Amino acid sequence: MQLLGQDLVNGILAGGILAVVALGFSLVWGIMNIINLAHGAYIMLGAYLTYQLFQTFHLDPFLSLPVSFAALFVLGYLVQRLLINWVARAPVLTTFLLTFGLSLLLVNVALLIWTGDTRGVTTSYSGANFSIVGITIPWAKLYTLLVALAITGVMHVWLTRTKTGRAIRATSMDIGAAQLSGVRTAQIYAIVYGLSAGLAGVAGTLISLSYALTPTMGDPFLIKAFVVCVLGGLGSVQGALIGGIVYGIVEAFATQIDVTIGTQHISGSGLQDAIALVVLLIVLIVRPTGIAGKATA
Amino acid sequence: MALLLAVPLTHNGYIEIVFRNILMYATMAYGWNMIGGYTGYVSFGQVAFFGLGAYCSAVLSQFGVDNLLADVLVACAVNGGFAVLVGLPVLQLKGHYFAIATLGVALALTDIIANLDALGGTAGMRLRQVDEAHFSVYYYAMWIVALAAILATYFIARSKLGYAFVAIRENEDAAAVLGISPRRYKITAWAISAMMAGSAGAVFAPANGFLDPSIGFSVDSNVFPIVMALLGGIGTVAGPFIGAIILAGANELLQRYFIKIHTLFFGAMIVLVVLLLPRGLVWLFGLRGGVRTWLKSLTEYKA
Repeated sequence: MQLLGQDLVNGILAGGILAVVALGFSLVWGIMNIINLAHGAYIMLGAYLTYQLFQTFHLDPFLSLPVSFAALFVLGYLVQRLLINWVARAPVLTTFLLTFGLSLLLVNVALLIWTGDTRGVTTSYSGANFSIVGITIPWAKLYTLLVALAITGVMHVWLTRTKTGRAIRATSMDIGAAQLSGVRTAQIYAIVYGLSAGLAGVAGTLISLSYALTPTMGDPFLIKAFVVCVLGGLGSVQGALIGGIVYGIVEAFATQIDVTIGTQHISGSGLQDAIALVVLLIVLIVRPTGIAGKATA
Repeated sequence: MALLLAVPLTHNGYIEIVFRNILMYATMAYGWNMIGGYTGYVSFGQVAFFGLGAYCSAVLSQFGVDNLLADVLVACAVNGGFAVLVGLPVLQLKGHYFAIATLGVALALTDIIANLDALGGTAGMRLRQVDEAHFSVYYYAMWIVALAAILATYFIARSKLGYAFVAIRENEDAAAVLGISPRRYKITAWAISAMMAGSAGAVFAPANGFLDPSIGFSVDSNVFPIVMALLGGIGTVAGPFIGAIILAGANELLQRYFIKIHTLFFGAMIVLVVLLLPRGLVWLFGLRGGVRTWLKSLTEYKA
């Protein structure tokens, strides 16, 4: 029972990070209809930026959150304006390959700067945790979850209450009608893509607290972001949060599975991608609109 | 293509491997072209079939079967069956969902094989090879596999089957109304493409002599063929071959002279091909209206 509780808590804590990862991914997908394969690379850049600030200026990772956001926002804004905008409305293959190429570029730039060695951000509170009814909770992961909740709240308010937020939602509903109403859609796309990259940077900072850093560290998060978006309901801010936490819990339990058949030992922890695929297919077949999504045409 | 038959006559092992890789990627590009180009279902996981074909050869080699023809036939049978099995749920999806689901299939299969001790796990498996004097047999085998892929594409593109694929790409509902069962034809295209990729893998594994999940399911083998088909021209018979020669050749040169940053160049190359040649070289050669028409075509999908 205690073990179950621990798995559940671990899942919820990991889900907070997944929610932030998926939130940025979901914005670009839902509003621009682009699957951004460079999202993992932006996460990695955010993590390395945090690492560098921590090494050079001893800046606390939580204080470097705004720096990661701002730096990645600028990068994303420029990438959208200078590159992606040319093919923003092209078929799947074009944007898929373009963002894959971008990802390859960024990962290799990181490889040149920081090499392929594994790095980590070790703060004074890195190993610290507390226990409630026998369940261990690391402080760093708890703070991470709180930040994730705060970001989701801010994003929700911003998208529904501000003028830019309304323009973004209008663009996602009908780009032609939005243009006729005076929305500068190219500008909106650049803001959305910048925002998404900025959120990936924030996710990278949060991830750097609990995971090891390598130039390809963003890859595993990419397919999970996709599954979380489908699970929560595409284009919905709350959906990313709910989907992230649900997926975090599913993964925490699934990776605990251990089966031995004859001499063959099968462990769930080595099958993370297979778990993601199974969840994806089940959701798409059973409830294609996701948990929080509405039925659309 | 006939010219490539002369490559082993150079008696230069390095050149032979370079050209064998070109033929291998070309075969996979034709495989991708069948489902992604003609049928319009953009797969991002064709490496699953390449890897599965390669593992068929590895397993046969464990049982003492070292016959390339047997390797290819078994790989085709296994891949065909696997494609039908996976295709039943996955081919119901469209667009982004299909692309990510196929990527998921490739990643999941990699995970599973890496965890199976019987298949060597992450440590990999060794395959018996022919003695050095007969090493060119792998080159000729790859040449035959590539030729078969080209001929199959050529004849399918001109047959009722090929027209059914294109009909599904252009409008699946309309195709269904005309009596083309989308489900059956999609699975057919998917199985053919799986066999092409699997055959390339089946010859690659013994030629390489060693196989592990990172070699069998590499990102390169997944994305190279797609970019090659795109560069040459998707949904054309000549495109993948042209793309394979240019891209694999360029990659080989970059790897030779810029060993540390060649993947950086490759990323940049993908970005440039997508932005500047979205319809491929075959289209560009046939283009009327010169530079202006070409430049105009680049802004077609601008937001």
